[in-house]
Amino acid sequence: MAASKIQALWNHPAGPKTIHFWAPTFKWGISIANVADFAKPPEKISYPQQVAVACTGLIWSRYSTVITPKNWNLFSVNVAMAGTGIYQLSRKIRHDYFSEVEEVPAKE
Amino acid sequence: MAMAVLRAFWNGPVGPKTTHFWGPVANGGFVVAAMADMKKPAETISGNMTTAMCLYSGALMRFAWMVQPRNYLLLACHASNEVVQLYQLSRWVNAQG
Repeated sequence: MAASKIQALWNHPAGPKTIHFWAPTFKWGISIANVADFAKPPEKISYPQQVAVACTGLIWSRYSTVITPKNWNLFSVNVAMAGTGIYQLSRKIRHDYFSEVEEVPAKE
Repeated sequence: MAMAVLRAFWNGPVGPKTTHFWGPVANGGFVVAAMADMKKPAETISGNMTTAMCLYSGALMRFAWMVQPRNYLLLACHASNEVVQLYQLSRWVNAQG
């Protein structure tokens, strides 16, 4: 019984034999890479790249709920992208604009 | 004649009134971001993110081809992204040695 359910998933039109499954799956790689980069120093974060990640995540989150059929895998992966992108941006902005007080003594 | 083509695009199934247009445009942001980053020193490139982008754009090129309706704009955005991300990846690899 469990085997037939697994078979149904395996043969699904948006299942693992199709690109409709693997495209969102590879998109998770972007969020995972971003989470791995949380540990990196903010100097290494790229503003253009993280803005692109956050904006793509927000736009695609919205649109994955208005397409037919709704694609919750696509929705969740884009919510994650928007979240990690916004967090990376907040780290870099905080470093660039709100911690200058520490840097001034070092320059002198 | 030109107006008819533009009007057909504007009202078309993958035109600017549909999500099939704006999704790819959003993904074009990655290409713009990578082009802005091409001038930056290679130490600022994230190996994790660039590798993820290469895999992602490869998959999305196939997705754009297979999806209904076939989305050439998405295909073009991801083909461009694949090229520019592979270039950034090569810069990162060279900086590792």
